[in-house]
Amino acid sequence: MGKYHDRINWKKELRLLPGYIIVCAWVALTAAILFWIVCASLSSTKEILTGRVMDFSNGLKWDNYVTAWNTQNVSLYFFNSLVYAIVSCVGVLLISAPGAYVLSRWKFVGGKAIRIGLVIAMSVPTIMIIMPLYSLAVQWGIKGRVLLVVLYIMLRVPYTTVYLLDFFSSLSRSYEEAAYIDGCSHSRTFWQIMLPLVQPAIITVTIFNFMSVWNEFFMALIFTTSDSMTPVGVGLLQIVNAMKYSGQYGAMFAAVIIVFLPTFLLYLFLSEKIIVGATSGGVKG
Amino acid sequence: MKKNKTMIFLFILPTVLCLLFMYVYPIVRTVIMSFFKVESLTASTSTWSFYGLQNYFKILRNAGFISSMKNMVMIWLVGGIITMCLSMLMAVILTSGIRGAKFFKAAIYMPNIISAVALATMWIQYVFNYDYGLLNQIVKAFGGENVRWLGTDLIFWAMMIAFIFGSVGYYMLIFISGIEGIPQDLYEAATIDGANILDRFFQITLPLLKGVIRTCVTFWSINATTFFLWTKMFSPINTETATIVPVVYLYDTVFGGKGVVERDAGAGAAVGVVLTLIIIAVYVITNLILKDSDLEY
Repeated sequence: MGKYHDRINWKKELRLLPGYIIVCAWVALTAAILFWIVCASLSSTKEILTGRVMDFSNGLKWDNYVTAWNTQNVSLYFFNSLVYAIVSCVGVLLISAPGAYVLSRWKFVGGKAIRIGLVIAMSVPTIMIIMPLYSLAVQWGIKGRVLLVVLYIMLRVPYTTVYLLDFFSSLSRSYEEAAYIDGCSHSRTFWQIMLPLVQPAIITVTIFNFMSVWNEFFMALIFTTSDSMTPVGVGLLQIVNAMKYSGQYGAMFAAVIIVFLPTFLLYLFLSEKIIVGATSGGVKG
Repeated sequence: MKKNKTMIFLFILPTVLCLLFMYVYPIVRTVIMSFFKVESLTASTSTWSFYGLQNYFKILRNAGFISSMKNMVMIWLVGGIITMCLSMLMAVILTSGIRGAKFFKAAIYMPNIISAVALATMWIQYVFNYDYGLLNQIVKAFGGENVRWLGTDLIFWAMMIAFIFGSVGYYMLIFISGIEGIPQDLYEAATIDGANILDRFFQITLPLLKGVIRTCVTFWSINATTFFLWTKMFSPINTETATIVPVVYLYDTVFGGKGVVERDAGAGAAVGVVLTLIIIAVYVITNLILKDSDLEY
């Protein structure tokens, strides 16, 4: 409808006024909350408790961030989450991309069953799988970061495979046929020709995998046994719970901002890609 | 193209192993476990004793489980209706040709991409705070008395509001993509025939969004039955009757929580199976009610 936007049509805008008011109110609420949290993260506990967070006459309390980062261990949680997100994003691609490729290209025994299995796996509630996984982890003595990395990789495989499968299916077979005539082996064709062609899909799916692992909470809460493997979500919960005793409101809000920032920044730069990806295929990321 | 069986096998193997290891084996084991008396998750299978449907009877007689189910139904039904109406409203507004629709869309969807723990903390520690919270500031500005939003009476609704606020953006996006798929000439024809904005919504938009609504109901049902994080945030240390949901009940039963006398993995598995059956039932029923119409456009 962009063509109507060239000139302001006041009658039309007036008709849309209720709509403007509703969305503006919603966005204003979001902005107000965020703005206050940012201000609070730069205020002293006393200022927060007396409702004077917008009053910066005593200067900005950047040391809230230092306290959160160092004393409250947010640096460690942040590092852990980064490791989980990055390693599992790469790992899941190594499993899903080849799988999605052969599923999209060839009919073979069990292919259909695998496709159906992947779609069902995407909607299986985590509670149905978590208990046996927990006993296996204890039985095999798998502990530490590697446990969550492996689980996150496998958790993201169904979504990633289905997403890439759709994309591979949309590519013409002529690329591979040409490569095959030139004597290129199937697997080389995949790694050197097909994989670069699906780069846009790989980027989208990786953004979603990153955000999903960064924000994951349930598995993290169950499998985290020590500080050294705690990701940001569980870490923030611990900080909030400990705050009753520590009373460091400013540092807690600083921790909230630190946890909030990575995916928010990603979103600032990639919001269009993320919004398109969020509903493509009707799949929740 | 020639088939290369070795390559197909090697390429698909990791995906299959992952499905078997992460999904098939755990699901089967959870279902089996729900029919056995299993105290600890880590107990070896040789200590399991067959229990028939006793785990199911046990949870159905448990007051904690019953209140968790009540809360879940409230979240699903009341929260679902409010979320769907708000998302639909936002979607209709953003597709009505307002300026800055792209920005509003991105801003309303934003809560979905940030850490829900951070989002919940913002609501709990700021919006609902008794002393300096946003809501109480507004109440005070209108001359009211501070309200205990996180007290036993209101905490459930406070949690619901925060959860809905975070959810609307996602369903809005689904509705928008549905509305954008409806041909514009349908609306133009209707406008010429004298249909007003409400007529157009109820006669064209809503009926044509059947498939989209079905998707939303399915996703919402999964979200409501697996509701966990918000309860954990609103009642972080002691589970409260006001906010308990089945997954939190399961968590406390299996992994231990305050007030849990004995851990019971079998009962936990039964809770998981019940929730999965509910999701399947809702999915089947939604598909029966909202059948694809023969309507072509």
